[in-house]
Amino acid sequence: MTIAAEDEMPVGKRRSSLLRSPQFSSLVILIVLLAVFAIADANFLSPLNISNMMAFLPELGIIALGMTLLLTAGEFDLSVGAVFGLAPVVVMLLVQNGEASIGVALLAGLLLCVAIGAINGLIVTKIGISSFLVTLSMLLVVRGAALYITQGFPLKSWDQPGFFVTLLAGSFNIGSFRFYTSLWWFIGLSLLAIYVLRYAKLGNWISAIGSNRNAAVARGVPADAVKVWLFILTSVLAGLAGMISAFRISAASPVAGTGYELEVIAMVVVGGTALTGGRGTILGTIVGALMLRAIRNGIVLIGVPGLAYNIFVGVIILAMLILHALLQKNAARG
Amino acid sequence: MEVLRLQNLQKSFGSVRALKNASFALNEGEVVALLGDNGAGKSTLIKAISGVFPVDRGDIYVRGEKVSIRSTRDAMDLGIETIHQDTSLAPDLSIARNLFLGREPVKLKWLGVFAPLDLAKLRGAASALLKRVGISKKLDADALVSTLSGGERQSIAISRAMQFAAKVIILDEPTNNLGVEETHGVLRFVKEVRDAGHSVLLITHNIHHVFQVADRIIVMRRGEIVAEQTVADTDLLTVESIITGADMSALLKETRAK
Repeated sequence: MTIAAEDEMPVGKRRSSLLRSPQFSSLVILIVLLAVFAIADANFLSPLNISNMMAFLPELGIIALGMTLLLTAGEFDLSVGAVFGLAPVVVMLLVQNGEASIGVALLAGLLLCVAIGAINGLIVTKIGISSFLVTLSMLLVVRGAALYITQGFPLKSWDQPGFFVTLLAGSFNIGSFRFYTSLWWFIGLSLLAIYVLRYAKLGNWISAIGSNRNAAVARGVPADAVKVWLFILTSVLAGLAGMISAFRISAASPVAGTGYELEVIAMVVVGGTALTGGRGTILGTIVGALMLRAIRNGIVLIGVPGLAYNIFVGVIILAMLILHALLQKNAARG
Repeated sequence: MEVLRLQNLQKSFGSVRALKNASFALNEGEVVALLGDNGAGKSTLIKAISGVFPVDRGDIYVRGEKVSIRSTRDAMDLGIETIHQDTSLAPDLSIARNLFLGREPVKLKWLGVFAPLDLAKLRGAASALLKRVGISKKLDADALVSTLSGGERQSIAISRAMQFAAKVIILDEPTNNLGVEETHGVLRFVKEVRDAGHSVLLITHNIHHVFQVADRIIVMRRGEIVAEQTVADTDLLTVESIITGADMSALLKETRAK
């Protein structure tokens, strides 16, 4: 009982297990990548470029936080990219048709995300269809809805300055760096997610459900309810990210976020979260989000042709996953 | 003293009568082995007692009081803990976190599921428990369960049941997939659990294990309890013949006579 309450492990052991942890190896690779890009192109670390990366980072990063918790509980959500597109489109339609003020419209958009997440979660848990199939279908429904209600045309987004624009897409300067308020959202939500997964009772339940659902249920953990709420959370975060993005670029496109689901899942697993559930790391996800953003940005800067760059992204992700698998094997042996 | 009594339990799945009319009692500090071939109704009976599903008819008494068990939580609250071979622990969680899964000690209780775990208390209680059950030297409360052997996992699961002062601990095939030495470790542990005053209901295929630890034997066949005997009054061959329904001891006598 003499052990400090801050963490579960004594300091020495904590250090050695940190060095072997998946998020640490991801961090090392991130630093190597950043160094390579910085050497290859001096502009990579320029204030303008860093500001640029930091503007994009939170939008996918916020979704990745929800996805990490969901994956840790053993499920995943392929509909996030479509929700990212639909939510701001609905908000703007409501406002432009004069049916709601911007505040009410934003709330309605988020409630729609709650409904989408709840439907995903209830079908997965109550009917017992795999989340892959359920959310794949939901992707089509949601993307189709966004295209239909806009007739395929992008909408002009809200660009009048005001409380909500500042809240979601305001910007500020630190020195010669220009940051968006979305970065604060990402930082705040990250801290909250770290707390929940590592230190809260709920985090213990989430990991246990993903690790061995039957064991968790046998101990009285409400596994289905937890999963439904995580689906809702992921949907809401995807919708929030979509609104932030739409406000930042002053346009809401029905095809925004296409392919984001895979990019987000890539961020999460590159960070060290297990696709099979049970092992999740928010810190790893943050590293993963930074890494994918840096890769996308860096390979353009060093002159990889635009059409070729998914090849690089794919190869780097694959290399990361192989590394994690090898480390995992090593740890199991030692 | 009687801890658990089952009276005329019945359960059907469609047209299959999995449990026809099961009655028996379990006393304090005894190990009762529940035997039977596949499909005899053992696991149906266990699931009914541990709250996986309700019975169609019949009563369950805990310490003489009639109770209704509608969920696994109900069973746990009544002091009935069930340990299955593969479904009792989460391998990616530490021993300490597994020991308290679903009953985590927290600070700031009003935060509900968002309440922070009381990690110091968690560790302390886990270490104390591991020490009490005599496995503290080998195991660290922070070790992930995935790093443990099958026997160690069984011991952890059983200790968890003991820790919550369970009156009845149900062990479902605890020695499946275990090596010889680990099996002995688990059986020794079962005896210690009994000596600590808990009642154990042991479900197993291995009759040899039964004769090593059990005080009483209950045999089920086709959804019914067909025999109930104290271990001292019977022998391996008799029990085997009751399980299969064939009178093997008679057969043996015949062969011997020849």
